[in-house]
Amino acid sequence: MTPNILAYAFAFPVLGIFLGLVYKGIDRRVSARLTSRIGPPIRQPFWDVGKLLLKETVVPENAISWLFNAMPLIALASSMTLLLYIPFGVLKAPLEGYGDLIVVLYLLTLQSLAMAIGGFASGSPFSSVGAQREMVLMMSYEMPLATVIVGFALIYRSFSLTTIASTPVWSIVGPIAGLGVIMLFIALLIVTPAELAKLPFDIAEAETEIAEGMLAEYSGRNLALFYLSDAVRGFAMAALEVVLFIPFTLSSIFNLNLTGASLYTVEALWFLFKVLVVYLLAVTLVRTSFARFRIEQASRIFWVYVNIIALVGLALVWMGV
Amino acid sequence: MVNKMMFVLLKQVVKKPFTNPFPVKHAPKNVTELIEKVQKGEVKINPPVPLPEEGFRGKIHYDPERCIGCQLCIKVCPADAMEWIPELRKIRHYVSRCMFCQLCVDICPGKKFPGEEKNVKALSMSNDFLLADYDKYSDNLIEEPPEAKEKGL
Amino acid sequence: MTKSQYYIPIGPIHPALKEPIRVEAKVEGEKIVEVDVKRGFAHRGIEYMGMKRNAIQALYLSERICGICSISHPYAFVVGSEKALGIEAPPRAQYIRTIIAELERIHSHILWLGVVAHEVGFDSLLFWTWKGREKVLDVLELISGNRINYSMYMIGGVRRDLKESHIKALKEMIDYYRIFNQEMKNLFLADPVYKARTRGVAQLSKEMALKVNAVGPTARAAGLRMDIRQDIPYDAYADIEVRGIVPQDIVGEVYGDAYDATLVRIYEIDQSVDIIEYCIDNLPEGKIMAIPNYVVLLSKIKRTKGEGIGAHEAPRGEVIHYFKYDGTRDGPAVWKVVAPSYNNINSWAPLLLGAEVADIPVVVAYIDPCMCCNDRIAVVRDSSGKIVDSTTLHRMAVEKTMRIKKELGVKE
Repeated sequence: MTPNILAYAFAFPVLGIFLGLVYKGIDRRVSARLTSRIGPPIRQPFWDVGKLLLKETVVPENAISWLFNAMPLIALASSMTLLLYIPFGVLKAPLEGYGDLIVVLYLLTLQSLAMAIGGFASGSPFSSVGAQREMVLMMSYEMPLATVIVGFALIYRSFSLTTIASTPVWSIVGPIAGLGVIMLFIALLIVTPAELAKLPFDIAEAETEIAEGMLAEYSGRNLALFYLSDAVRGFAMAALEVVLFIPFTLSSIFNLNLTGASLYTVEALWFLFKVLVVYLLAVTLVRTSFARFRIEQASRIFWVYVNIIALVGLALVWMGV
Repeated sequence: MVNKMMFVLLKQVVKKPFTNPFPVKHAPKNVTELIEKVQKGEVKINPPVPLPEEGFRGKIHYDPERCIGCQLCIKVCPADAMEWIPELRKIRHYVSRCMFCQLCVDICPGKKFPGEEKNVKALSMSNDFLLADYDKYSDNLIEEPPEAKEKGL
Repeated sequence: MTKSQYYIPIGPIHPALKEPIRVEAKVEGEKIVEVDVKRGFAHRGIEYMGMKRNAIQALYLSERICGICSISHPYAFVVGSEKALGIEAPPRAQYIRTIIAELERIHSHILWLGVVAHEVGFDSLLFWTWKGREKVLDVLELISGNRINYSMYMIGGVRRDLKESHIKALKEMIDYYRIFNQEMKNLFLADPVYKARTRGVAQLSKEMALKVNAVGPTARAAGLRMDIRQDIPYDAYADIEVRGIVPQDIVGEVYGDAYDATLVRIYEIDQSVDIIEYCIDNLPEGKIMAIPNYVVLLSKIKRTKGEGIGAHEAPRGEVIHYFKYDGTRDGPAVWKVVAPSYNNINSWAPLLLGAEVADIPVVVAYIDPCMCCNDRIAVVRDSSGKIVDSTTLHRMAVEKTMRIKKELGVKE
């Protein structure tokens, strides 16, 4: 590990938290405007986290307290680590070469798992039901997610995200495989709200049914950590989609000849813009315009429909490559 | 992942939000300062929701000069918001108890001053509806004859 | 770490409930295997208060029985009282009453549609429907002076007349709701996720609806054509052929589930709009009060002996008020209120048994429950589980007041 990487490793999480909260703020604002409301200021998530950090952290009497307190940390750590694997535009991922897409898959799962275990550990019936639902949901959407990643491995013969980011997927696939990639993209877009526990798949946190489910007993610092991990994960997931499917750099579209600092600034802004567009379309618009599914309906959707889409996509990719 | 709701919502993005805005965007540090600035015209505040032109039932206004002390309003008031002041033969109205049903206004016979053709009622509904207060017995929420306060009745 | 059975308490305070009631459910995984509904958290003793006041005061107390439909209880009150007193409201007043009642049905049904959308997690639809509800509330404010508590009715008439400007606003509102309701049909009935969440949930068969005495839209959704406006017509409904709306008229088949309840309520908004249009087109001229002077009215009540039953089809079902005037005081000697939610809540236990945890909010919401309407009695048990009777309770209450007064040093 060079000092360079260490510096990245400290700067990225801070940047990740900042961007995650800003995107959450924009998400809330846009969601409010979609429903004809004024909405909170964009800095509101920062106030929320600050306020939660100041509040008392209550551990329920019949909770397993070490597990209950450890899970928010694990959730935040896993989403922070996830960020270190994602190349920002032309910047290389800090942890490049230490395992790639497969680790990303595991880190995504780890965060949901941490929430589920935290739910089981809090000893409340609402949390337990929520945790059970989260486990079922996780088992349902893992398969399409894995299919997408296998599809990319087939195209690139590699799991490295930096390789994928440096050569746009659309430039190396033929028309048939291109169709396959589009289907994989659709599958990943449907998985996104489930992965981020947003409507229509926020079944594990259903407010009206089980009163926020897994998070029902969490408060104060623990809840703030979950909130942060949720924000970071939302950003990371959208960034991952951009890296996989919309990797075009601005300089390659307009044939710009930028070098040095200006290249990095322009590309970083362009990358953030792409992430914002994906975030708004895949998360904000979907979460605002859908009702919540029941757990068995969501399972059916993922096991049957999304799986079919993903597997057909995979087959097309396999034929095309 | 597309349904009809999405189009309805996307149409709403370009329209003005439906929410009634607060008078000012952020809570002011000093309310009196803000009010002074508004009076000078330096700050503009969002007006409250418009009321219907006539017939709005707001805070009851009591004119003790017109009150003949018939106690009919006390008889019909469902919320017991009227109190009889026997020394003055007038009433006291507690707005915090009032349920704005307008029965007292309907039943009030009123009084005719010399030179007037018709009786004018002592009680009337005003357009005031911003009645929030910390104290339910604050001056703003009690309508009474001025003598009652002076004499401490 | 996991147990096979969980005990899930819903209420008295829970995000799915807007008013206090308690549902105790035992669940296995997601399935409910045992359920108990406990009510009586919002008893306020309004009937008793009404029997201590005069009839005009009690009428305005009855407006406060229900939190949402402020005109259903006064409507049943005035209809019953007029029967007991042997007076009749002038035709114009009858038509105005019907218009107000139908306006209220529109706002209450739109409110329900928003609530049920919220219960299935469709918050944007909640905001959108309630945005559309503002129009009818504005019209009600214009006509009556307030948005929720209209204070329009009086025994033997109405207190405010409809002016030209009101009729213009009503006509404009009718056009608005014709379009709005069409959009609502698209958004609710054609939405795949909404259909997935409500089809087959809270499915009440015809037999079961009769067995639990379901009333109003709940019974109509189960395919029973029952509606007070059709069965015992009163006021302007007697001139209009109102037919209860049932799903078999609209789609040809009955499921009796929450989706059908949505269907019935959306089409009832159409029906209400039609009724209002008929009423303003055929509004008779004349007085609006049989006895305009309240003092005369009260003295007539004081002289009258009689009893009467008033029924009104509220947005949630039938509201029934029973009165007895004994000729000694100017208020009711006996006043009994039957509210629709009381019957409809009976359907919760059979519907929840075997359902999923995710269905609890839909089952709870689909009857449009109004807890403050239905709590007519409160039963107090002592530590051994024995019911404490009212005299003992009264004595204990007086004793406690005395004790507190002594502790606080209150002078008589």
